[in-house]
Order: sequence, then structure tokens, then C-alpha cells
Amino acid sequence: MLQFTKFVTIRAVLAVLTLVLVSFIVFSLMELVPGDCAERYVAFKNSQGAVITPADIQIERVRLGLDQPYVQRWGSWILNAFQGEFGDSCILRVNIAQLLGQKFWLSLGLCLSALILAYAIAIPVGILAATSKNAALNNTLRLVSYLGLALPNFLLALMIMLFSTIMFGDSLTGLFSKEFRDAAWSYDKFKDFLGHAWLPVFILGWSATAFAIQTVRALMSDEVGKLYVTAAEARGVSGGRLLMRYPARHALSPIINSLGFDLNRIFNELPIVALILTLTEAGSLLIEALARSNDQQLAGAIIFMLTAAIVGINFITDIILALTDPRIRRSIVG
Amino acid sequence: MSELTDTASARQKQKEAYFTASQGQLIWQRFKKNKSALVGAWVLIILILSGIFAPFLTPYDPTIAGRDKDYLNGAPQIPIFWDENGFSARPFVYTQERTRSIKTNFRWVTEVKTGLEDRRYITFFSEGSPYTYFDFNINLPGEALDFRIPGIEFNTHLFGVDKGMIHIFGTDSTGKDIYSRTLTAIKTSMAVGTIGVMIAFVLALIIGGVAGYYGGMIDAVAQMVTDTVKTIPSIPLFMALAAFIPDTWSAESRFFFISMVLGLIGWTTLARRIRTHLLSERNQEYVLAAQLCGAPPKHIIRRHLLPSFTSYIIVDLVISFPYMILSETALSFIGLGLKDPVNSLGVMLQNVTSADVLLNYQWYFIPVIFFIVLVLAFVFVGDGLRDAADPYSDSK
Repeated sequence: MLQFTKFVTIRAVLAVLTLVLVSFIVFSLMELVPGDCAERYVAFKNSQGAVITPADIQIERVRLGLDQPYVQRWGSWILNAFQGEFGDSCILRVNIAQLLGQKFWLSLGLCLSALILAYAIAIPVGILAATSKNAALNNTLRLVSYLGLALPNFLLALMIMLFSTIMFGDSLTGLFSKEFRDAAWSYDKFKDFLGHAWLPVFILGWSATAFAIQTVRALMSDEVGKLYVTAAEARGVSGGRLLMRYPARHALSPIINSLGFDLNRIFNELPIVALILTLTEAGSLLIEALARSNDQQLAGAIIFMLTAAIVGINFITDIILALTDPRIRRSIVG
Repeated sequence: MSELTDTASARQKQKEAYFTASQGQLIWQRFKKNKSALVGAWVLIILILSGIFAPFLTPYDPTIAGRDKDYLNGAPQIPIFWDENGFSARPFVYTQERTRSIKTNFRWVTEVKTGLEDRRYITFFSEGSPYTYFDFNINLPGEALDFRIPGIEFNTHLFGVDKGMIHIFGTDSTGKDIYSRTLTAIKTSMAVGTIGVMIAFVLALIIGGVAGYYGGMIDAVAQMVTDTVKTIPSIPLFMALAAFIPDTWSAESRFFFISMVLGLIGWTTLARRIRTHLLSERNQEYVLAAQLCGAPPKHIIRRHLLPSFTSYIIVDLVISFPYMILSETALSFIGLGLKDPVNSLGVMLQNVTSADVLLNYQWYFIPVIFFIVLVLAFVFVGDGLRDAADPYSDSK
């Protein structure tokens, strides 16, 4: 038990350290954007008719604390960030945490569902592909997983939109129907949400599935030929029981470990898919912030939260792995 | 008797050839056996060549200078050999004219003229718009970095028509020839990928090399940094970096900056592989043997360590190439990447999003096919090379 606590503590410290480093990168990126908040506010006031002098900009800078040294501002940004507080967006002049709010959780939910979908398909199919000797099946699967890589998600989304517009006259975009867009969460709204969310989940899951099938197949075919499997077979275990109890258990534990990076890959695709399907969640806000309004506070907050989610998942998978596999616990603590 | 010794000696020779073959020869032998990778390699070579010789292979300038103002949003024109007016040994297309009159309710309508005198015959090696090779015109921000080398100018194109213009893939909304644009886009995307991969490679070699060579504390710090960069989703990070480009930059500076951004983020996987490889190879017996023979470290690195993983690095570079192209496409697609007049596959894909295009101008999708084929070819070749470079792939 003591050993396990030690393991969890080390992992937690590492995760926080990673987040601090990430926050430094993100914060530096935000600082690199030409123009700061003071200039933006003042420019806004200017557009409202007030006459502005350079001294006003300086006063505004002091008010916002922008005259303090870089490291100090980074420190206060990160301290607030860990409490889920990202300040105001100086373009939209609203609180970022309020703006993002449930949109971020929607995005996370979409990505996690895509991840679950990917592995729900990939694990049985991958095991089948690794153990079957059927050349036609293997070649088909290979082609499909290559296509998953070569056909970017945004193209797939476009094609599905084209198809459904021609066939059903509905472009299948958005996350909510009109009447539910601003309504509070209720059972009906949830049902409506599910009716819209399946498409982005499917599109996000598409390349993730292709990728996962390849991973599962490779891991599984490494394990299937090993002696302990033959030994188990000699003892009379066979069929699905043999596969699930012996090679699959070994083959699948590295997958748990890589879940964080799979989520990373899905997050990658989210903004562009969101743009095409006009989803109203954090991914499209990110594009909005970066490509249109150059809103560095909002963009930084979204990237930081996405990364924090990935670090969190990595931390959880590490703990799960350590719970199930004593070898890992020992290897880290030493 | 002599027959037997003949086959035996032939087999002996074969064995000898196998044992004395260089690593490159062995890889090539294994690669040749993989049919899908070989097909992919051919497709890739054809695409790369058509990208390099795009100005010659295409009839018109891909920028606004080469537009056909009489044929906007025009459908592809397929050359034919005969119609009701008779057969022609030289393929031809019809003249299409945009007209607006009381008959068409004063809307612009494209009218196909199928008369004998309206045939446009295809000519080969025709003279057309000039283009240059070996022409460097670097225009980076800052005066000191500008320089220009005038190249050699050509104006021969593989094909053209005797009058008017021909658009075998159709035209876009401003009348630019989609065929010319597609081939040029392949060239641009390959160039972005190459620069990106090169920058990533140099970074990976330095960071991975230092971490793997020194090990210990330096390695731990390098791993921490690599892991952190890997944790941040790369497309949002690309987007954040690309968002800095001021609007005032020229298209060329944009191009170089985007390629650099791709390289600056794409190095992590490669760096980790180089580091792992160096760490494991350093403790191999053949290195120990060389050390015991008194070989200096320089000799060991150059003659033993480097050859042991050059093939892996080449394979990794090929594998990371399609990711670079995909990332560039994604960036350009959302409008943060390359912009007109620089013409990449992502810029071309940008045009296919509107419903108007989806329903009425499906030929805008032709570049998409090229894009998918290009990425697929890269993936097939990369996978084939990976299998071929693995010395144990035969025994599996």
C-alpha cells in the first residue's frame, strides 16, 4: 500500500510538472502575438469615440498588470489557470471560464465517445485480424486502416455532408436543434443532442479506429506466437477463452498506456471537424479565436485545458495500469 | 555431374551475394518483394515528377495570370476524336462561350458550340506562358535576406490548343485552370513537407542525439521536454503558431514560416527514436568489440553506430512525410496556412467546402483524389520500407 501511494505521488508530481511546462509554452505563445490587452481595450474605447493618448495605454497596462515582469505574469496566470480561472478575453470582453463552460465539456465528451467507439471496434477486429490466416480479410483491413490515415477527417465530413444533402436534404450539421440551442439541460435536450452528436463522434472516431486496429493487430500478433500461449493450448484451453485469457491480456495493457496520446490525436482533428459541421463547442471557438479574431487569451485557455485533459487521462491510465500490473509499480519506484 | 556442381556453385554464389550484400541492397531486395509498396513507389515517383515538371506538363499559369475569363466554373473538357461531324486524327475539344442575351434571360450561360469550325485541336509542345527553373527569389522579412538569381526561362508546354484554352479538369470560380493548379499544388505541398521534415530531422538528431549519447540527467530533461511538446495537441499548436503571421508578409515568407512551424513541432517522435536507438546500440557487443580493438570514439560513431541506424532514420523520414502534408493541408484548409497565390493541396481543398461546390461544381474534388493518392502512396512506401529495413522481417 505504501509502495502504491509512493507511485501515485510521483506520478502526480510529474503530471503537475508537465502542466507547468505546458503552461509556460502556451503562455509564451500568447505573449508572442503582437499587441497586448491594453492596446486592445484602448482601441475599443477609441472606436467608441474617446480620444486616446499613449499615456492612456500605459495607465491601462498598469491597471491590467501588464507592466510586471514576464515570469511574474506567467506565475499569476498559471496559479489562476489551476483554479479554472483564465481571466477575461480582451476581444470579446467576457469571462473566459464562463464562455467556455459547458462547451469544453461537450468537446471532451465528443472526443471521449470517439475514443470509446474506436476501441470498441478496434479490439475485436484487431484480435481477429492478428489471429486469422485469411489473406483477403487482412488485406482489406490494411487498406481500410491506410484509408483512415490518408482520408483526413474533414474530407470525410465533407463527403458525408454532400451525401446527406443530396439524399435527405439535411446537412446534419450542428450539435442541437434550433429550439434546444439555448435551453437548459433536460432529457429532451439530451435526446436531441445524441441525435446530432453521433456524426461528429463517428467522424472523429474514423481515423482513430483505423489507427487503433493497426496497434491492436501489431501487439496481438507479437503475443500470439509466444510459448506461454502454446503451453496454455497444450493444457487444453482453446478458442476465444485462450485468446482472451492469455495473449489478449498482455497485448492490451500497452493500449491503456497510450490512451492519452490517442485522445491527443482526436483533439487534433476536433477543431477542423467542428468548423465543417458547425458544432458549437470549444474546437470551433479555438479556430474562431486563432483564425479570425486573434484572441490569444481564449486560445491559450482552450489549448491549456485540452492539454490538461490529456495529462489527466495519462495520469489515470498510469494508476489503472499500476493497479492491475505490479511490475509497473515496482519499475517506477525502483 | 557438372550440372549438379553448376547449381551448387550458383547457390554458393547466391549465398555469398547475400552475405556480402550491403544493407541498402538487402533492403532493396526485401522491398521489391512487397508488391503494394512497389506500386506505391511508382505512383509516388510519377507524382513527384509531375510536381517537379508541373510548369511543362500544364498548359497555363496556375495563378490569376493564367485565368480563362471566358470559362468561369467551367466543367472539365475531355478531348475527343470524333463527333457527328466526322473523325479527326488530332483530338479536340469544343469551344465554349459565355453568352448573355434576351434568350438567356440576361444571365450568363455557357454555350457549347459543336460545329466543325468550333473545334479546338490539341497541339503538342506548344508555346505558351513562360516559366523559369533554377530561379531563386528569396524575399524574407528584412532587407539583408533578399536575393535573387535569375533562372533559365522556358515557354514550351506539353500540350495546348490551337485557339482559345483547354481545361481538362475544369476551372474554378475565377477561371483558373484546375489541372495546372493541381500539379503545382503537388509541388508546393512536397516542398513544404521536405522543408518541414528536414527541420524536424535536424532538431531530432541534435536533441535525440545529445540525450542518447550523454544519457543521465541530460537525457531525463530532454525526455521531459519531448513528452511535454508531445502532450499538446499538435494541430491547435500549429494553429497558434501560424496565427502570428502578420497579414503583411508575402506569400513566400508565409510558405517558409509554415514549413518551419511544421518542422518545429514534428521532431518529437523522431528524436525519441534516435535517442532510444543510440541508448541501446551504445551497449551492444559490437561496440564493445570495437572499443577493445582500440577504436577511437569518432571511428565507432562514424563506422559502427551511424550505419546501424541510417536506414531507420530514412524510413522514419518517409513515414513522417505524409503527416507533414496532412498538417499543412489542415492548416491551409482553415485559412491559417498558405494563401493565394501560393498554391498547395490544402489551398485547393479550401474551395470544396461550400454547398454550391458540393452540388454544382463537383470537379473541384479532382485535387482531393490526387491528395488522397499522394498520401496513400507515401504510407504504402513508408510501411514497405519499414518492413524492408527490419532485418528480422523475413523470419517472422
